Amino acid sequence: MSSTANGKLSINLDTCTGCSLCVLACPVDVIRMDAASAKPVIAYPRDCQVCYLCEDDCPTQSIGLSHDISNSRRYSTYDEFDLDV
Amino acid sequence: MDILETDVLIIGGGFAGCWAALRAADLKATVTLVDKAYVSRSGASTMSGGITTCPLDGDDLDIWAEEFIVRGSYMCDQRWTYQLLEGQRERIKDYIRWNVPISRGPDGAIRRFASRGMVNVRGMQYQPKVAMRELRRQITARGARILDRLFITELLTADGEWPTRSGIAGAVGFDVYTGQFVVIKAKRTIVATGMIAMKGTHRVDNDCGDGAAMAFRAGGRLVDMEFTFGGTFNVLLKKFDFPSYNVAVAHGARLINARGERFMQQYDPERLERSELSHVVAAFAKEIIDGRGPVYVDLRHVDDSYWTDIAKLHRGGSILLTDHVPDPKTNPLAIEPTWGLWASGRSGLQIDLGGRTNLYGLLAAGSVAKNDATGTHASAGSPTAFCKVSGWHAGETAAMESRESQSPIVAQDVLKLLQEQSLAPLRRTPSPKSPDDLHDDLARLEASVVHGMILNGDRLGRMLQTTAAVTEGTTTCKAHDLHDLAKLHEARNVATCAGVVYRSALDRTESREQFFREDFPLTDPSWFCWHGATLTGSGDVVFDRKDFPTEGVRFVPPEPEAGGLGPIGAIIRGEG
Repeated sequence: MSSTANGKLSINLDTCTGCSLCVLACPVDVIRMDAASAKPVIAYPRDCQVCYLCEDDCPTQSIGLSHDISNSRRYSTYDEFDLDV
Repeated sequence: MDILETDVLIIGGGFAGCWAALRAADLKATVTLVDKAYVSRSGASTMSGGITTCPLDGDDLDIWAEEFIVRGSYMCDQRWTYQLLEGQRERIKDYIRWNVPISRGPDGAIRRFASRGMVNVRGMQYQPKVAMRELRRQITARGARILDRLFITELLTADGEWPTRSGIAGAVGFDVYTGQFVVIKAKRTIVATGMIAMKGTHRVDNDCGDGAAMAFRAGGRLVDMEFTFGGTFNVLLKKFDFPSYNVAVAHGARLINARGERFMQQYDPERLERSELSHVVAAFAKEIIDGRGPVYVDLRHVDDSYWTDIAKLHRGGSILLTDHVPDPKTNPLAIEPTWGLWASGRSGLQIDLGGRTNLYGLLAAGSVAKNDATGTHASAGSPTAFCKVSGWHAGETAAMESRESQSPIVAQDVLKLLQEQSLAPLRRTPSPKSPDDLHDDLARLEASVVHGMILNGDRLGRMLQTTAAVTEGTTTCKAHDLHDLAKLHEARNVATCAGVVYRSALDRTESREQFFREDFPLTDPSWFCWHGATLTGSGDVVFDRKDFPTEGVRFVPPEPEAGGLGPIGAIIRGEG
């Protein structure tokens, strides 16, 4: 299977039709189109906020998102108080 | 550079910007709608949880208005309250006409429930992503020009001064894909850039307060900025996004502490978890401080429609249906809130009933504007209602006024200077900090819910030092590509807004609503007013206080009582 994955986001390039709806959908410009292959690339993975918009808009269900913590800038009050959850 | 002209320029393509575009186009103005992302998939609108205030024909709006006004402590313009409710009733009809999916009961009627924070006001659940897609289709059909992936860096002033003494003449920016510099001259400009927020906290990372920051630099008056502090319960098990607190509690979700106690019974026995979010977050802080944490969301009691709707209406909700988390139908799950820059109408550019700001030629709509319909208390659903209705009115005002206006003239050297300033970071030598580092520095200011809620002069002073250092950092920071350049401008805008928030918080020497200073814990009646902040030509911030209007008042505020603790202080100090 040909796919591209980076951090939280993966795209199955075999089923991807290159329609670019995921590129349009991303509010934070994580996904770009690769001109040579006419398929999407995960250009700025750090900025992915796991909002599911790309996954929702993909007509061939080629996008997978891990549910894990969406943002490296997020902090936990539980850590501040040494509370184990 | 590309130079475009338009009657009405709208910056921001969420609910507010789209409704403004729709209305202005209906009134035959030439409309240009720009967004740094893709109109209909940008900002907070698509992620708004899908709850909006839902007045229908036949409802007694006096009852609804009274609840908004009283629960908002009368800190609003009551004419706006009625305008919001009457306007929203019509916009709901648009959704129905456009076949936007709305949650309905077995009889086919719209399923309405008490909005979080309210007893009488009703909200409905719908699919915001479909609503946004339909809005884009409607705008396109009306011939409005949409420019996607155009990052606006600054408002254009008629005199080339910031702050301006003449007014706003459009905006400038760059294409995020090509770097092309674009000037848009406009007879009227509407900022509709969404919430004042930081990257990292809320999964709405492109809401960076861009419009508020640009307007402020141009002389726009921001009000009640210390009420920008807000948050929601959105972090599950320290690791996952909880889909929507407002939706969950509308369906019967509870919060319990480590002892299994439904602790909100102690703080708000009537509305419990559906109390003002600030009260629930303060109660969370109190439970943690007093050693009764963690706090859990208990979904064992929600109604069946929660589980069907969450899969259908909210993709993020599916985390609850996976084996990533213990089965929420039998296990309470640890949850925590955030607290920081998260405005959604409690603060922002002050607008009149037509959407006009204090600057000639500049209007505002949606969450970048102060929502004077509900005061500092925004119930679940009222921010998106305000987006629709304020957008509608701003679009109408801008279109009508542009008929009487000439195209603005701006000196070429001003445009050249703006081009240079906008793109300069691309040509800088490598800097010690990247744009991401600057956002990290800012986000750390929101690390602690407890410290964000319990403010004091010392802490605010340190927070101001950080924003000043970030602002200074943006003047030397290198942008490696256009994506980086956009993030650098965003860091500058977040720092601008945060600076005004912290300064406003220092200026307010009392506590009320969700604002609590432990060094000024009592409510001072002289602060029952709007609190404005404006930039002067010498770079200082001047503050003003304005009384709430007496015109159109149907519900008369009681005589203010002096000396009481604000609601947050009462909860934190155990007197709630």
